[in-house]
Amino acid sequence: MLRVRTEGEEVVEVSVNTGYNHRGIEKLMEKNSWIKGMYLAGRVCGICNAVHTQVYVQGVEKLMGVEPPPRANYIRTVVMELERIHSHMLISAVVAEIVGFDTLFMLIMRDRERVMYLKDLVTGSRVHADIHIVGGVKRDIDEVRRDKILSELKVVEERLKYYRKVFEEDYTLVKRLTEVGRIRTAEALRHCLVGPTLRASGVKSDVRFDDPYAAYSEIPFNVVVRDEGDSWARMVVRLEEALVSVDIVRYALEHLPQGPAVPKAFPRAAKVGEVISRVEAPRGELIYHIVSTGGGNPYRVKIRTPSFLNIINTEFTYLGHRLADVPVIFASYDPCISCTERVLVVDEKRGLKKYLSLRELARWGTT
Amino acid sequence: MRLSVIREVLRNLARRPSTLAYPVRREVTVAPGHRGRHYADLMKCIGCSLCAVDCPANAIVMEKLPQQLKHNPRGIYPVVDYGKCVFCYQCVFVCPVKAYVTSEHFEMADYAISTSRELSLSSIRVGGQA
Repeated sequence: MLRVRTEGEEVVEVSVNTGYNHRGIEKLMEKNSWIKGMYLAGRVCGICNAVHTQVYVQGVEKLMGVEPPPRANYIRTVVMELERIHSHMLISAVVAEIVGFDTLFMLIMRDRERVMYLKDLVTGSRVHADIHIVGGVKRDIDEVRRDKILSELKVVEERLKYYRKVFEEDYTLVKRLTEVGRIRTAEALRHCLVGPTLRASGVKSDVRFDDPYAAYSEIPFNVVVRDEGDSWARMVVRLEEALVSVDIVRYALEHLPQGPAVPKAFPRAAKVGEVISRVEAPRGELIYHIVSTGGGNPYRVKIRTPSFLNIINTEFTYLGHRLADVPVIFASYDPCISCTERVLVVDEKRGLKKYLSLRELARWGTT
Repeated sequence: MRLSVIREVLRNLARRPSTLAYPVRREVTVAPGHRGRHYADLMKCIGCSLCAVDCPANAIVMEKLPQQLKHNPRGIYPVVDYGKCVFCYQCVFVCPVKAYVTSEHFEMADYAISTSRELSLSSIRVGGQA
């Protein structure tokens, strides 16, 4: 929840209260086996479930001393990048809606369904991939599926280019997003921001590039960086990143190594030790710290999600802006906590205190 | 620059709607190989309980086979509760004899088939041995 203190229309103080959204997933993982924990990790987030599973599985693989075959790594990369594309499309749509551009919201959500279909085709489910297994993947990509994805990606790429153009040139969007919620490079670094929020402030930081996992060390791609640091830059970085992801998926599918991807058996016990594993989720760096004392289940799993940093550490960016800009700035951080979607507006002069949902705040004054 | 979007909107006027009148017209399609309703084929199942052990949602319970249908030495078979199942297909993957019959059926919001009991038991009758 955002607690916003205003003087008239100007925001003078913002405090973030994340509320009680603890679902006990970390504790559940301690009680369950390594394999059940893998599915629990995927349930942390619906949008970035494959990266959550990836970061858990690559940590567990290190503890168990298993190396996934190259083909499995490529398939994992394909799934994770498809996820990044649809995640970035989703937040672009949400920002368009909050700005008041509902037509664009509908158009992007319609085309996002194409990517969801591709994910369904590769993994067997629109949302929850569940394709990982310790030492490989559960499902291989055959020729028919590969060709279908490649042909469908052409359409997706064209649409993404169109949406990038709309975000770059449309009068309404540019007016509402530029110079709003600006974060300078030094501020972004000092407040430990991650992901597209950090890259839009001119810092080249991407775990895929800095510390390659899965098949990223073998796939050429460039990290999208912009210097403006405002809400507009954050959205354009996301859309350009989605286009880079299309290229990564295409490269991975065209250079898919031969050999097995599905393991016949997987280990069930890990050695004593601890491991920190990190990946680049659509929202930024995602870290799992897994401690094992041997045996069939983990001793402790600590999850640090990217939205946690991006929401709590950006209170300063709202100051001095108008109340109507608050939902725009908030949405431009790609918040991934459905339960923070409330705002408490306090007007000191008029003694007004009101709880609003993000959508109500975006539409405030229009109804 | 809103002209570009207006052109897109006008072009959409001539198209069919993207949304589907779902319960009236059942045109919803899932990709081939979608993880849908699954049940154990008791002609293959050996009652090893690996699927029940690995199920992350504890949706699989091993139940005793009826006396006249005793098809494996352990005399037990897995029953999937579709209300609990998260359709991760760990059971399908882990099964050593590939006993699970998978389908793309995803419309399961009914009371008629809430567990895989009937489907599994009928797999024996189809086999013609009971």
